[in-house]
Amino acid sequence: MSKNNDKKLKIGIYELTGCAGDGLLILDCEMELVDIFQAADIQSFLMAKSDNIDGELDIALVEGSVSTEREIEELKDIRKRAQVVVAFGLCATHGGIQARFSEEEWQKNLKEVYGDIEMSHTKAVHSKPIDEYIDVDLYLPGCPVSKDQFLNFLVRALGGSPPEVYPNPVCVTCKYNENDCLLLKGIPCLGPLTADGCGAICPNHNVPCYGCWGPAEGANFTSEFYLLQEKGFDMEAIKKRMANYSGTKLQEFFEKFKKESQ
Amino acid sequence: MKTISIDHLARVEGNGGIHATIDGKVVTDVKFTINEGPRLIEKLALGRTPDEDVSMSPRICAICTCSHKNSVLRAFENAMDIKITPKAYLLREMMHMGEFIESHSLHTFYLALPDFLGYPNAIAMAADYAFEVQIALEMKHYGNHIMKVTNGRYIHGENAIIGGFGKWPSREEMIFIKDRALQFMPFVQKTVDLFCGLEYPNSPNAETNYMCCEPGSGKFGFWGDEILISTGETVPRDDYKSVTNEFVVSHSFAKHSLYQDKPFTVGALARIVNLGDRLEGQAGEMYKKYFNETWKTNPFYHNPSRTLEIMYAFERIPGLVDEFLKLEDPASVVDYEVKDGKGTGLVEAPRGLLIHHHEVQDGVVSYVDIITPTAQNTEDIERYCHVAAQ
Repeated sequence: MSKNNDKKLKIGIYELTGCAGDGLLILDCEMELVDIFQAADIQSFLMAKSDNIDGELDIALVEGSVSTEREIEELKDIRKRAQVVVAFGLCATHGGIQARFSEEEWQKNLKEVYGDIEMSHTKAVHSKPIDEYIDVDLYLPGCPVSKDQFLNFLVRALGGSPPEVYPNPVCVTCKYNENDCLLLKGIPCLGPLTADGCGAICPNHNVPCYGCWGPAEGANFTSEFYLLQEKGFDMEAIKKRMANYSGTKLQEFFEKFKKESQ
Repeated sequence: MKTISIDHLARVEGNGGIHATIDGKVVTDVKFTINEGPRLIEKLALGRTPDEDVSMSPRICAICTCSHKNSVLRAFENAMDIKITPKAYLLREMMHMGEFIESHSLHTFYLALPDFLGYPNAIAMAADYAFEVQIALEMKHYGNHIMKVTNGRYIHGENAIIGGFGKWPSREEMIFIKDRALQFMPFVQKTVDLFCGLEYPNSPNAETNYMCCEPGSGKFGFWGDEILISTGETVPRDDYKSVTNEFVVSHSFAKHSLYQDKPFTVGALARIVNLGDRLEGQAGEMYKKYFNETWKTNPFYHNPSRTLEIMYAFERIPGLVDEFLKLEDPASVVDYEVKDGKGTGLVEAPRGLLIHHHEVQDGVVSYVDIITPTAQNTEDIERYCHVAAQ
């Protein structure tokens, strides 16, 4: 099992602004953790270890949104050092819940929360996903990412393959699981619009999907929105729900949809 | 005048640094910076429905997501006069136990212990302490398992909802949780002995005020409707602002708090100082055996305090399962109407008192105020670092 460290993939795990849930999920692989640390050379993982090295990397996993000027610099430095940069978790892929404000709303809210005080250690910037600042090679969405998704990614990466993609919306897995459809009961569930990978956890518990993996790439949003409208759902309410976890990535769609539906 | 800076603190949950300014032989200033950017979470839910708020607010913190969930749920249920069933109440408590076991075992074994034994991380300790590392990982896994069974997944589960739960766990799942708790007890005893027996540095040594929830009925516990201060005062939940007095400082996106112009401490040590004499069973015996006056003035004793709470949680779980299974299966969620109101929910997160205040107007969220344990501890963290640096 233990290979020479020179031959192992050098991996760095970095946290920008967020809840640290994606890094924590790695530590939550309790039964696999010793193997993970043996199979890969974990160069940097601030939450887990103190002997961190900021050198050349094969893979950088970056979680969190970019929310300060200091983070922009950190991110650019990571890009320079890493062969492959992975946006790890919803905050990095989509900007997370903190990314949905418009620039104007963000300025106003920042002032309301922090007043006129200028921060001396760094300057806050409007939260954005990491691909607003650097080229990103791979995306692993999820709030948080799932354990299977991470372990599959790692095992494939160790073998030199790209990660598994989850092209379907949550609805597909939900049907496999034979759950009663919540939309048919009049409950606003975002399963048809949201990227799968969680295993339809919320509908499995009779709880509607809140969209925490971000929008599904293959979903036909326009058609789905008209369908929901036909079913009598309040469209403004659905749009607000969908915006909660979409970060910056659905804003264009909403603008287009607004024009179309006028 | 020179400054010693640690830009990135390692093995902590979050992203912070410490900067000490020294003039000759005197430490003139210590600043604890929070490097993460602002997320404006209190603004995110405005105009959204209460259930969206319940989904989003716990995203503040992955490690204490269940504490945020219980706190925001208590706030909304207070705001809208919703009374959950006794069965749901027990399951919410079970969820909290899972989080304490997971978070405390992570903190003590993974984050803190390597420093005391001289290793860069917990995995490196495995070479010399294979058994301890293995069982500690299993203990953490068990805490996560409880959160998955009760709240749907390890991090940011959604099964706990306003009015109760989306779905009850099965009888088999609950019995498994009970059986595992009993199996873990010998290792839990070892954990307490290990951390209570470690030699901690004498410095920093300074008095402070400790705050936590008053669980009521003379019991130990992780939530309540009053704040208990080590001076003996209690403050009702709706007057929480008189205790915390949050304010903004220019070197941290986490706010700071002062009580009567003085810093205070929340967290495991605060709970053990304020409530430790209420511990029963084996945890009560361990408290009598190990707790002494030195704990009260030295933040290093947060770690042994955490292990006493791990023991409390393990001893509480079998009874919780028995009580839960004795009750009939009512609907997992009570019917309620969204109505206008204001509510505060107090809980103890693993790192201390957590306050959620949420208001509803015209069916949507109109105001949110969340006071995290870190925003209460920041002043004391700086003060204790100052004493230690000197």
